[in-house]
Amino acid sequence: MNIYKPELVEIKEIIDETPDIKTFRLKFKDEKLQNNFSFKAGQFAEYSVFGEGECTFCIASSPTRPEFLECSFKLAGKVTKAMRKLKIGDTMGLRGPYGNSFPLEEMKGKNVVFIAGGIGLAPVRCIIWNVLDLRSEFKDITIIYGARSVSDLVYKYEIQDWQNMPGVKTVVTVDPGGETSDWKGEIGFVPSIVEKVAPKNENTIAIICGPPIMIKYTFPVMEKLGFSEDSIITTLENRMKCGLGKCGRCNIGSVYVCKDGPVFTYHQLKELPDEF
Amino acid sequence: MKSFIVTRSQINSLAAELLSKNWSIFTQSEDRKRFKQCESESEISVDGNGKPSDVSFKELFFPKSETLFYFNRDNEELTLLDPAEPGTKTVIFGAKPCDAASVPVLSKVFNWDYNDEFFNKRVENTIVISIACSYSDESCFCTSVGLSPFSEIGSDLFLIPTEKDSFILKIVSEKGEKFINEFPFMIQKEFEGTFDLENQKASFPKEKFDFASVKEWLGKNFKDEIWNEVGELCLGCAQCAYVCPTCHCFDIVDENCGVSCGRRVKNWDSCQFGLFTKHASGHNPREDQSRRYRQRVNHKFNYYKQRFDEILCTGCGRCTRGCPVSIDIAQVLEKIQCKQSAAIV
Repeated sequence: MNIYKPELVEIKEIIDETPDIKTFRLKFKDEKLQNNFSFKAGQFAEYSVFGEGECTFCIASSPTRPEFLECSFKLAGKVTKAMRKLKIGDTMGLRGPYGNSFPLEEMKGKNVVFIAGGIGLAPVRCIIWNVLDLRSEFKDITIIYGARSVSDLVYKYEIQDWQNMPGVKTVVTVDPGGETSDWKGEIGFVPSIVEKVAPKNENTIAIICGPPIMIKYTFPVMEKLGFSEDSIITTLENRMKCGLGKCGRCNIGSVYVCKDGPVFTYHQLKELPDEF
Repeated sequence: MKSFIVTRSQINSLAAELLSKNWSIFTQSEDRKRFKQCESESEISVDGNGKPSDVSFKELFFPKSETLFYFNRDNEELTLLDPAEPGTKTVIFGAKPCDAASVPVLSKVFNWDYNDEFFNKRVENTIVISIACSYSDESCFCTSVGLSPFSEIGSDLFLIPTEKDSFILKIVSEKGEKFINEFPFMIQKEFEGTFDLENQKASFPKEKFDFASVKEWLGKNFKDEIWNEVGELCLGCAQCAYVCPTCHCFDIVDENCGVSCGRRVKNWDSCQFGLFTKHASGHNPREDQSRRYRQRVNHKFNYYKQRFDEILCTGCGRCTRGCPVSIDIAQVLEKIQCKQSAAIV
């Protein structure tokens, strides 16, 4: 078997999230593959534009909605530039799913706090919908999401749904200066908003994803709020090529982020060499 | 497994017969730069005295550039096509023990969980005939990584020169046994004596460092001034990775040929390049050469051992011989061992 050869997928829908972020809704061209494709929240895939190359993104849709899968991507390099030019009906390649996943079973019966910054909401959105679609199995849900400015917020059309759900506390914030005149959410950086919202630590698991700087300053806040190192979970976005534990690019110490991760507890991160 | 006495002329006959049966034959080139393909049996080099080729034979299993698949856009319909399987039966004559040992080491990373069949097919189709090594220079350090000039690891057949134009041919692997049984003239004269390895040991490269101490120090000292010292010297040119028999990092890129078709290729890459780990966001976990050199040493002498129970180095010394700024990896490891010894005292 050729482990590097992707399957073909078709773009079914394109959503303009922000000026530089789009979401693609994809379906396998082979119906049998579509029906048999299964993944867990937190896993990632390799997406290709033939002639341009491959890119690594998390799967942003929930496994509870298996009729399609979605990825959200920000304009950053050659492949994402090519992806922005694609239209509905165009063909892409997909390999995956790869990597480990969020500990969904462990989260059952507990409160869950989701904290995300910028496009870091993509992997978190996957597990948010996974949890919300199985709502009765979880206790209180808190979602804290921040972006640089109002126009940089992704999945705006869904945030509204979360805000209206009973037992779900959703707080949205933008960095100071990023607000518009009609902005009704919070203004401030994610770590300080987390401190202000102060989610309870008892019987709670926190899932955090965002830019390295946000994660760096949020961890100490979580510790101050009494969260144990094992109850804080994040997902790493190291540069990858193969996704299969071969190309040697995503390693942190002896850990392969593509195989042992991308999901790690804060405790596990602390054990790794300081190189991420 | 059995051993036989063979002569140089029998080895030539073997090569001639293989060529007539369309096998590919590789051997070290006369200028000792690389392994080259032979067109005639007279080109075969079975020379234990020779310097290791500048470039290892890794590219015969893991090519510098390998097509993963072709893509073709015909009438807007996209199709993907697998490349032809590397089907040519190959024999490598006169590999060094420090070349051969890299095959099982690489096999580990190419086969945990997901199997890289590109690599596996090439290994499957190749017979490695190594020769005991009597060459040694100041860059060699095979004995420091658990190997020796007589290591048979990774070889299918092993030659030990005895007297002029005469060799002991040892069968090392089952694959080697099956292969040589096809050529009865090679297995006429069984060698029933014992070869005295102890006698040879005086001429082995001296052990430069103790691997266990080095690994222990690396495991405990991520941050240390030694990385700045070497990092400031290192140019980040990655020649060390390209000549290395065990470096295996690669990139995956697309190449277009015309508007409607192209191929995806796996190319050699190196952790010594600044862009290697640079994120799309601009963030780079290994932003300077000292971190990148630290990664190279740790990957070889610490992480790979932890992960796959192998040292990602065969002590061939190629990286040192070819380094444009004369960084000697064995010297770096010697220094590390001194640091470890000092820490114990």
